[in-house]
Amino acid sequence: MPAGSLSFKSRESLQALFCPQSVAVIGASTAPEKLGYQIFKNILDAGFPGTVHPINPKATEILGRRCYPSIDAIPDQVDLATIIIPAPFVADTIRQCGKRGVKGAIVISGGFSETGPEGEVLQNQLVEAARESNVAVIGPNCQGVNNPHHPLCASWPLLTRRGGVAIVSQSGTVGAALMDWASQEELGVSTFVSLGNRADVDEADLIHYFAQDPHTRTIAIYMEGVKAAPKFLQAVRQCRKPLVILKAGRTPKGRKAAESHTRSLAGRDEVYEGVFRQLGIHRADDLEELYDFSKALAYLPRPKGRRLLIVTSSGGSGILATDMAENTGLDVAPLPEEMARKLRAVLPKHCIVANPLDLTGDANAEMYRQVVEAAGPHFDIVGLIFGDPIPGASAVVGTDPLQLVIYLGGAEVERHERLLFHRKGIPVFPTPERGIRALSELLR
Amino acid sequence: MTIAIGKAIQEGRNLVEPEAYELLEAYGVSVPRHRVVNSAEQAEVASAELGYPVVAKIVSPDVLHKTELGGVLLNLNDAAAVRAAYRQIVERSRQARAALRGVLISRMAPPGIEVIAGLTQDAQFGPVVMFGLGGIFVEVYRDVSFRLIPLTELDAAAMIREIKASPVLQGVRGGRPADLKALADLLLTVSRMAVENPEIAEMDLNPIIVYEEGLSVVDARVLLHHKTAPA
Repeated sequence: MPAGSLSFKSRESLQALFCPQSVAVIGASTAPEKLGYQIFKNILDAGFPGTVHPINPKATEILGRRCYPSIDAIPDQVDLATIIIPAPFVADTIRQCGKRGVKGAIVISGGFSETGPEGEVLQNQLVEAARESNVAVIGPNCQGVNNPHHPLCASWPLLTRRGGVAIVSQSGTVGAALMDWASQEELGVSTFVSLGNRADVDEADLIHYFAQDPHTRTIAIYMEGVKAAPKFLQAVRQCRKPLVILKAGRTPKGRKAAESHTRSLAGRDEVYEGVFRQLGIHRADDLEELYDFSKALAYLPRPKGRRLLIVTSSGGSGILATDMAENTGLDVAPLPEEMARKLRAVLPKHCIVANPLDLTGDANAEMYRQVVEAAGPHFDIVGLIFGDPIPGASAVVGTDPLQLVIYLGGAEVERHERLLFHRKGIPVFPTPERGIRALSELLR
Repeated sequence: MTIAIGKAIQEGRNLVEPEAYELLEAYGVSVPRHRVVNSAEQAEVASAELGYPVVAKIVSPDVLHKTELGGVLLNLNDAAAVRAAYRQIVERSRQARAALRGVLISRMAPPGIEVIAGLTQDAQFGPVVMFGLGGIFVEVYRDVSFRLIPLTELDAAAMIREIKASPVLQGVRGGRPADLKALADLLLTVSRMAVENPEIAEMDLNPIIVYEEGLSVVDARVLLHHKTAPA
């Protein structure tokens, strides 16, 4: 292990990657089908607040911006270089960047260690250039960085919604999918980072960084294996924010695929399982869990206990929720007699006053409000399942006791209400199982 | 570093089972009462002292897998069986060209719940403590739990709780519950042994028989880190 490999990238160098004042796009293109065009355009369209310079020796202007032949030709200071040029030229370009005082580089280009021994050589040269020039490098072979709080979208697709979850992914698409879901739901992300081959900056650097980032409440990671265990362990032990990890490559064939995808050593799954539990990492088993757990951990407070009242307009959904609650250690406790009596007096006769409490298909928002009010002294969590179009649902939900919102089968009303919930910072889950499963992570 | 470990490293070998027992006992872990003997007569005397039934096991630094070699003979009930077992082990070691350092005679442990514990090296995370139930649970279902060293008491309890077969330890079908406290202490001891003796590369305690009160480590294998000899 090389000396100093336990030290993290400095805050300053990572700030150049996520919050630069000025960006150069090396390999910016005039051809709309090329990444060099799309990334340059996304930086502009996302509303980057500083200067953006395209670099391409064959062009004079791209999207109305003066194009420079090289980084040396740019008159002013550049903090970040986004590099989309063939692999053999990348190491030298990073050296030129270093000489010009560039602090960070995002290398989108592929053709490195993921392609074989020749690519491995190029990657080693890249690492050497980065270290010697003191440039922090994300990638290569990655999908870039998107920080909507800055905003900087040196990535694709163009997404700008701001939120509280940092997404760090060894796979560009997997990370982009999470960001896309968060964007559609108007929850947004704090920052998206595609690590690619993580030749320089790795997941430990980013855990260390996002643990201090004011916009980040929860860190969601997709990984195929940790890069350096001691550094990773140190970063996790110091991190006081919830950390959710989807670790792929669990089966022998999956491990093999991970090795060829990003040259990751996937390791023994049982050991990962134990280490994650020991460190308090929330382990997601699939992409939906990674999304759901992060959403719950970022936007819901920790419940005071495990007593859960399920209130539903859909009998079936109530049973699905109850099964999941039982399987994840939540306590679907019977209603105290006093509370049941109070509710029978105000709710329609056909409501099933039990736990789950079935308001049945003609439930309205006011009935939910009455139940939440009555539940206050007796339950730690109220799981509200809106299983029909229930207008005004978002108006009756509060935070005391903790309320978990599940909305399904409500079509247009649901889609409208969900956005209203999300604008209030209350997460909505799409199925009883996903909602309750995510809730159970708050009590781990 | 214990004397046995130092000596084994000097001789470029791993611990033989009596040394592994000694190491465990030094850390307060129960192992079966045992003697190392060098003749059929000694074997008979030792067995009478220990009390039947006994087990006879080969003691050789060259043999990692004693059972595969036929170097473990269980349930020996009388002097004739012990003498025959001694001669058989000598013969097997000769056939296998394994250096014999005696035969281990130990009291046969009464039945209980069989579990396994140990220390292994993970390619990424380094030394990790392992725990699982004996027999098919580990081999077929891979029902094991791991933790990094050093273990905390909470870690040890969680390792025991989180294996799928954990209810077996609570007692099923009228069986008595196993001594979970003793088990947790054992896992903590494995962790402590690994921390205090970094020369230990791997430890395989298999089986460990857990009773309603206490437990006994019946078979112990300890592998050491050796610096590669200069060419």
